[in-house]
Amino acid sequence: MRVRFWLALWTGKIVGLIIKVLGKKGTTFPGVIARKIYPDIIKLLALSFKEGTIIITGTNGKTTTNNLLASVLKTAGLEVAFNREGANMLTGITGALLQFTSFSGKSKADILLLEVDEATVPGLCQQLTPRLAVVTNFFRDQLDRYGELDTTINLVKEALPDDTQLILNADDPLVAQIGIGKEEVYYYGVQSLPSSKKESSETREGRYCAKCGQELTYTLFHYGQLGVYKCPFCGFQRPDPYIEAKDINQGEQGISFWVDREYHIPLIGSYNLYNALAAFCAADRIGIAREDIGRGLQIFISDAGRMEQFTLPGYKLTLTLVKNPTGFDQVIKTLAEIDKPLHLLIAINDLAADGRDISWLWDVDFETLAEKRADIHQLLCSGLRAEDMALRLKYAGFTEDKIIIEKSLAQAVDKLGEYQKMDKDAVFILPTYTALFPLRDILVTKRIPDSRVKGESA
Amino acid sequence: MKLTIYHLYPDLLDLYGDRGNVLALAARCRWRGIEVDIRRASLGDPIDFSAADIVFLGGGSDREQSILVEDLSSRGTDLRDGIEDGLVLLTICGGYQLLGQYYQTGEGKKIPGLGILDLYTVAGNKRLIGNVIIELEPELKKNVLDSYASSVEEESAQKLNTLVGFENHSGKTYLGSNLRPLGKVLRGYGNNGEDDEEGVRYKNVFGTYLHGPFLPKNPHIADLLIRLAWERRENVSTVSLLGDNMEIVAHQAIISRFGSNR
Repeated sequence: MRVRFWLALWTGKIVGLIIKVLGKKGTTFPGVIARKIYPDIIKLLALSFKEGTIIITGTNGKTTTNNLLASVLKTAGLEVAFNREGANMLTGITGALLQFTSFSGKSKADILLLEVDEATVPGLCQQLTPRLAVVTNFFRDQLDRYGELDTTINLVKEALPDDTQLILNADDPLVAQIGIGKEEVYYYGVQSLPSSKKESSETREGRYCAKCGQELTYTLFHYGQLGVYKCPFCGFQRPDPYIEAKDINQGEQGISFWVDREYHIPLIGSYNLYNALAAFCAADRIGIAREDIGRGLQIFISDAGRMEQFTLPGYKLTLTLVKNPTGFDQVIKTLAEIDKPLHLLIAINDLAADGRDISWLWDVDFETLAEKRADIHQLLCSGLRAEDMALRLKYAGFTEDKIIIEKSLAQAVDKLGEYQKMDKDAVFILPTYTALFPLRDILVTKRIPDSRVKGESA
Repeated sequence: MKLTIYHLYPDLLDLYGDRGNVLALAARCRWRGIEVDIRRASLGDPIDFSAADIVFLGGGSDREQSILVEDLSSRGTDLRDGIEDGLVLLTICGGYQLLGQYYQTGEGKKIPGLGILDLYTVAGNKRLIGNVIIELEPELKKNVLDSYASSVEEESAQKLNTLVGFENHSGKTYLGSNLRPLGKVLRGYGNNGEDDEEGVRYKNVFGTYLHGPFLPKNPHIADLLIRLAWERRENVSTVSLLGDNMEIVAHQAIISRFGSNR
């Protein structure tokens, strides 16, 4: 059997190298081949990381949390191996392991960080016992692939081994319930956000207690179902966090918060604060010093398609992924508050990775955008479901003359560029997953060379 | 000039953007100068069915659905009286199943429904997921044509012969012999994936598995519901045509993309 392992490792690595030479990217083919030859290859490859494996799962924020944690661990001097964004199922994870393992079977890094698709957690945990498992949040996302949210949560909960330390979001009752009956659990959360409210009419998952089914009561809502909650019936409530952020300030340059001292992240959006706290809590549990955590978070450079900035001739634009109502609502809140002329391109695809059902667009609060930004200059709709997006905007209250359907991504970007803009105008492109990378490729060819200064905060 | 729309259990039955149906009804009323009063009612909230013109019941996850069966059953008589009197009711997916006699689980247990319509649902062993295209029943098609005050030559909601949407259900629903479906499945599975039928129509009650959401891309059905409610309330039997270019483009986009293969 050992022979097959080496055969799998070498074949996988060689195929990977050939693909790289050919200039192709984003293929899971090496992982597919290696797993065909030796199905348990993940088990053996993962053993060689002396600091073990950390997995990150949940609906939103896996990639950002993974990258924030990698930034912190690198700052602390660790060599970090991790999977590429979106390569979060077993073949993609195998591919990452092949890349970080030498031909002699030794790992090139100290620690393995894996963002793991929720439905892949059971399969992965049969191969390895993570040292830590981070769960970010649970929202409705790609339901057509997994059935319903409850199923997903139970799948994750039952798969996590008892020996794995759990890093859980205290403020999300759907995540916190995973800790019920487990011993090694460390929660993170916020005391309150500047936008927290006593009442909420937002889209909210899991209104009912996971233990007894009664409706949870809230003394504070942060966003979605995140907040300070309690079951009046059985006593299940928001657990006391091990890491709790206070004194949160959100500015244009990022967010600052207090956990025994002040920290800063160069990211905007409350969801990114949670991503930072998840990374913070995980880093703390593997013994990283607070100074390194602070520095690692501070120097983080935002990754592809997450509030990524491009400088094009005559204007700047921001590219940010949208994939479910809660994430989209967060972006809309940001847009509603920008005090500048606004141009928007929304690109909605409905391929498997996007979720084939686009009815979630009707759970997004475009009404707030229509109300606060009736002055919008352009509202371009693109992608395979451009017509659905346009219709949603019409019913949100935008006048029809502002809404333009342009199914071709390239031509939509051209139309965005043609409109007369002032230098200070805010221009946003919001794609779903499979529209993100083609759009990024288009923008990379159009941007002013070397305009992306290393270390520029997004 | 006012219609009252009851959105039942919006907090529980809120899957797949179904609230878009209420948004569509409200907008299409407002565009015609009809005032709308949207009332959201959940567990234990008072519901005055005699004041209701249109009642909407969406789909939810299994757990949330079982919580409300009991609540809704306690109001069964009022709802049934309303329906016999011509109350307009739109139910989607889980809400549609609830109208029937029972839902039979995978273990063979029969969970009673409201028993309002002669239909039942059996848990299937695979989820029926995908884009759906339905050809309207002739009777329904005629109702759509008759709903408008005027008739125009160009493309309009009045001319649509199809329904489009996205289905995602594991329950398979079977209609009693006296009930008519909304139409014939041209693409997708429909009620049960076996008899090529989708949805149900009984008096002014409509049930369907179509999300998408259902009404925005099927403006002719939205208008039919409004017309039926308006007729019952004000004795006016038609509504005006609206500028539905964007609705029709979105409707036809589904047909041209998914209509050629099953």
